[in-house]
Amino acid sequence: MSSTATTRPNGLALFILPSALLFALFFFLPIGLMAVMSVLTGNPVVMPKVAFTTRHYARMIGDPFYLEVIWTTIRIGLVTTLVALLIGYPLAHWMARIKSRTGHALLLMAVLAPMLTGIVVRTFAWMTLLSDKGVINQTLISLGLISQPLKLMYTETGIVVGLVHIYVPFMVLTLTGVIGRIDERLEQAAENLGASPLRAFLEVTLPLSLPGILAGSLLVFALAISAYVTPILLGGFQIMTLPILIYQQISANFNVGFAAALGIILLMISLLLVIAYNRALGLVSGQRELQ
Amino acid sequence: MQGTASHSPSLAAPQQATRTAAAARPYGRYLYLAINIAILVFLLAPIAVVVVFALNPTPFIQFPPVGVSLRWFEKFFASRDFMHALWFSLEVAVLTTVSATALGASAALALARGNLPGTRLIVATMLSPLMLPAILTGLALFQTYVLLDVGRPTWGLVAGHTLVTLPYVVRTTLAVLHNFDTRLEEAAQNLGASPLRTFFEVTLPLIKPGVLAGAIFAFIVSFDQFPVSLFLVSPGNETLPVTLFNYLKFDLDGTIGAASVVSIVLAFVVVIGLDRTVGLRSYVKL
Repeated sequence: MSSTATTRPNGLALFILPSALLFALFFFLPIGLMAVMSVLTGNPVVMPKVAFTTRHYARMIGDPFYLEVIWTTIRIGLVTTLVALLIGYPLAHWMARIKSRTGHALLLMAVLAPMLTGIVVRTFAWMTLLSDKGVINQTLISLGLISQPLKLMYTETGIVVGLVHIYVPFMVLTLTGVIGRIDERLEQAAENLGASPLRAFLEVTLPLSLPGILAGSLLVFALAISAYVTPILLGGFQIMTLPILIYQQISANFNVGFAAALGIILLMISLLLVIAYNRALGLVSGQRELQ
Repeated sequence: MQGTASHSPSLAAPQQATRTAAAARPYGRYLYLAINIAILVFLLAPIAVVVVFALNPTPFIQFPPVGVSLRWFEKFFASRDFMHALWFSLEVAVLTTVSATALGASAALALARGNLPGTRLIVATMLSPLMLPAILTGLALFQTYVLLDVGRPTWGLVAGHTLVTLPYVVRTTLAVLHNFDTRLEEAAQNLGASPLRTFFEVTLPLIKPGVLAGAIFAFIVSFDQFPVSLFLVSPGNETLPVTLFNYLKFDLDGTIGAASVVSIVLAFVVVIGLDRTVGLRSYVKL
């Protein structure tokens, strides 16, 4: 950009090598091995005679149980994404439009605080809230609103609540960036021309923030379908998702080939989402250049 | 937003619509604030509940709490398993922070100043562990270590953690490198400084805040990391999140609350330190 004459790599380019080596050895090689393992009959270290097979994939497609697991994973991901969007948008809008610096800093802290609390800790927090003798049920019973505890834990709803709490900060941070770039004067112009604040929002701000909505949703969906801790603890080992199934294949069944095949499926879904996410963010920056 | 209504009548706006909008405004404004406060409560209440639970003396969840005691903290700090896990987590987080910072900052430097071809693709690849399921990184590394028959060494765990924390360092360092004026470096060289001296006396001090921010992110992410650790820890050498998870599967007493409070406090101390030294604002854009 600045130096127009030289476009060939210079000495500083060599600084990329350690990271390249790390990625080659600990990222590309392992994922490549996982792909290989997913089409082998067994572990080549233990068994000398292994052959090519498609049976791990055939097992997945042939058994309605596994298709159901994949569908449950996607369903939980979709609901989580939708709720995270509905909850994240108002907060992101407030953060992007708040005038006071202190107010912005406080909101930012509030969004970051859950992010900085580990996944296991946050899932534990939701267990204390949602379980039969948890805070919510105890409060409702002592108020006389219910006599039997509501079944909040060990349900998909419980899992979704926990996942939304964990991933909504990602949605908020993505949306805040995008909404912040929308010129506020556009909304003001719409309102000066007689539109209500709601209509100005629906017809001006919302359409302009669509790329951010798309990027945030893809990010949350990608994170939600790969979650392990929250579905297993809030689902009480009763609801099966793809990551839970993958770990179970390793820890209980030691079926490395099948685990690898499931992993490759999850990887494919995630890769598509990553590409779409980058496209969506590309739209955002493209928009900025047009302004 | 608020200031516009007062001078809008001077414009040729339809009188009727303006009046409706002005009448709707206070209610809309209150609704907007009420919704947002409810969302903030949803975000922060669970963390508050953990703290309450950790201080409550009863061995089961009781709400409202019946008193304040430190017995769960005593139990946590007296537990060999938890203490071992805490120290192991800190060890892994420190090693990870050092390697991710060294690798990430130099990679960012190469990407911003090295005239590398295909920079966009390399950046996308280096950031991809952020979005690809960490549980797959764990699974793939686990399979590799099994195939290569290396067991489950600490360096293997640190390598996995470095992979998932490197993107934070690359991103924060790239952000400062893109923002500062390259003419400062050129000026130093024009005044006779060698490239090496320019690097140490101009470039490095300028990118330090970004590198530091990335290092702190790396530390926190490693300290809280679960999915990669799940596959790569060995029995008896587990990180704190894995120990907490195993404990949670069977027990739900206040010890978990105390352990959670300890890790929350640790993260907050680190972040407040970050905010005081370099400021958060510019580094938390996704």
